[in-house]
Amino acid sequence: MSETHFRSLVLDRHRHLKWKAFDPLEALLMVLCGVCIFMFTVSVFADVITRTLGDPWVWLQQVTTAFFCWGVFIGMAAATRRNDHFYLTEITKRMKGTSRSVIEALNRIVVLVVSVLLTYYGWQNAILDLGSFRMPSLIPLTVYTGIVPFAGVMIGLFTIEQLVNGLQNGFEGPEDLENIVTEGDSHE
Amino acid sequence: MSNGGILVFMASLFLLLGYMGVPVTFALIAGVLLAVQFTQISMQSMVGQLFHGIDSEALLAVPFFLLVGELMASSDVVHRMIRLAQTLVGHFRGGLAQVVTLFSMFFAGISGSSTADVAVLSRTVAPEMDREGYDRAFTAALIASASTMANLIPPSIMAIVYGATGNVSIGGLFLAGVVPGVLIGLGLMVYSYVWGPPGFKKNRASFSELAHATKEAGMPLMIPVIIMGGILSGWFTPTEAGMIACVYVLLVLIPIYRPRHVFELPRDFMYAGLLYSLPLAAVAAASAFGWMVAYLRGPDIVSSYITGIAGTSGPMIMFSLVVLFIIVGDFIDAVPAIIIFMPIINKLTEIGNINPLHMGVVLITTLVFGLITPPYGLSLLVASKYVGVGFGRAVVRSLPLYGVFLLTIAFVVLFPDVVLYLPKLLLPESVGCFKAPGGAGYICPN
Repeated sequence: MSETHFRSLVLDRHRHLKWKAFDPLEALLMVLCGVCIFMFTVSVFADVITRTLGDPWVWLQQVTTAFFCWGVFIGMAAATRRNDHFYLTEITKRMKGTSRSVIEALNRIVVLVVSVLLTYYGWQNAILDLGSFRMPSLIPLTVYTGIVPFAGVMIGLFTIEQLVNGLQNGFEGPEDLENIVTEGDSHE
Repeated sequence: MSNGGILVFMASLFLLLGYMGVPVTFALIAGVLLAVQFTQISMQSMVGQLFHGIDSEALLAVPFFLLVGELMASSDVVHRMIRLAQTLVGHFRGGLAQVVTLFSMFFAGISGSSTADVAVLSRTVAPEMDREGYDRAFTAALIASASTMANLIPPSIMAIVYGATGNVSIGGLFLAGVVPGVLIGLGLMVYSYVWGPPGFKKNRASFSELAHATKEAGMPLMIPVIIMGGILSGWFTPTEAGMIACVYVLLVLIPIYRPRHVFELPRDFMYAGLLYSLPLAAVAAASAFGWMVAYLRGPDIVSSYITGIAGTSGPMIMFSLVVLFIIVGDFIDAVPAIIIFMPIINKLTEIGNINPLHMGVVLITTLVFGLITPPYGLSLLVASKYVGVGFGRAVVRSLPLYGVFLLTIAFVVLFPDVVLYLPKLLLPESVGCFKAPGGAGYICPN
């Protein structure tokens, strides 16, 4: 992958909350998101074709589900670094100074705790799933559920990155204004 | 702690964290994992529930309909549909406002995503509306309102999620969404014609212009035919229909209309991959939340409360749920709301002896309204951001348009025969009809 392509995959918003060292991880997760949606498009297509030809490959459905679920959890991790998740409100973007730092830090701590729980219990669940198999291919369920602790680790790493950088550099950034068009800013 | 107490604790924690700025997905998971501490359920099985929430064949359709929207928008094939809308309604009073609504109807037949519709219109028609002197707050309000049709006119992502979690026919929900979708579209066109800004006066397009625009837009407009034709003929499931639509855009439309865009496809896939994970991560978290609601006997608690007010009358139960979902839709995104409340919806559907498809379309229409109401009107938030106007002003300009939505919701509740006409005609099994023993026709419930 060329330098330009790599850069285009890493979001430059909230740069003050990011370490350059984690940029390749974000780019990799974006590539994996693309691979997952591409692969399950191909596998659903192949499923329809083989069925139409009268010789369905039943295991294709399990391949599809695997890429689909991996895509969701990989995307969940990528969205954490890119701050792309759905929010009920972006109230903190209107705040400044210490109060902003406290609330933002608390929010990250909540996400960090959730990521630790996802990693720990997700791992235990995945180990337990080694004894369960998907029919008819007999793929261990762990192949599917193993993505949960992986996503947990990624989410944890990105949250620590944001927490440390936010406490050092402040959580406020120029992009906060993008989301808040006040009455005076409207172009009428 | 009692079950009711745990439910209130879990819901309050979710709302508190959500409004503090924790992403919806993590706020839901945090609420569930803390509530688990007061029960006999293991944390491990609850984390497993996150995975099982999205392990559904029907949900696979979501990324396909998002991908179709993304591919169509990023490859600029949609311009042809905008031109067709212009030749059809551009000469009316408030021509560009009419174009916004008609285009949204076309686009709704291709993509299940309101935000893709908002993005396309804000980039293309909004600057032109600016030049014609339309108030930006009106532009944002109209684009957001029109974009909600994407969730009613098939294919609809809300219908897929509702069908997958509520065990209701997705094809039936698609068909039942046509009437409210078209009613909202017509309502917005009438409002723009009578009360909206007039815009510039334009000449009616000539027949040859109309024929040319129709020919140009013909291939993109084949997508709804492929999707609904495939589902209704029984050739494809909704998931497969979505995939076929993607393949059609990738292998036919883009190579013919925008061959250079082929080099951009890897980027489109990566962004579509990220885009679909966002609602589905919320689905995973919400399904764990919904599972806990069911485990704690939430449906019994809430349904006894609602039947205490509304009795067991079907329409009264539906109106009560409409009020509840208008409030819920103001604060929570529609997809998690559907999943969290599904056990309660199922219980009340049974008590009121309501057709599950009718209940589904009523609630989807209500949740669609939530996309333009504050504080969490996602479509209006995105539209006001793109158009460049304050959210507060866009809300004020949306207020008269709320009438269109409220009238449509009332219509959908009161006239089930009209709303369920298409599913009954084209997919009778979806409304509970079954083949007559003699083999001629169907026997349907009243």
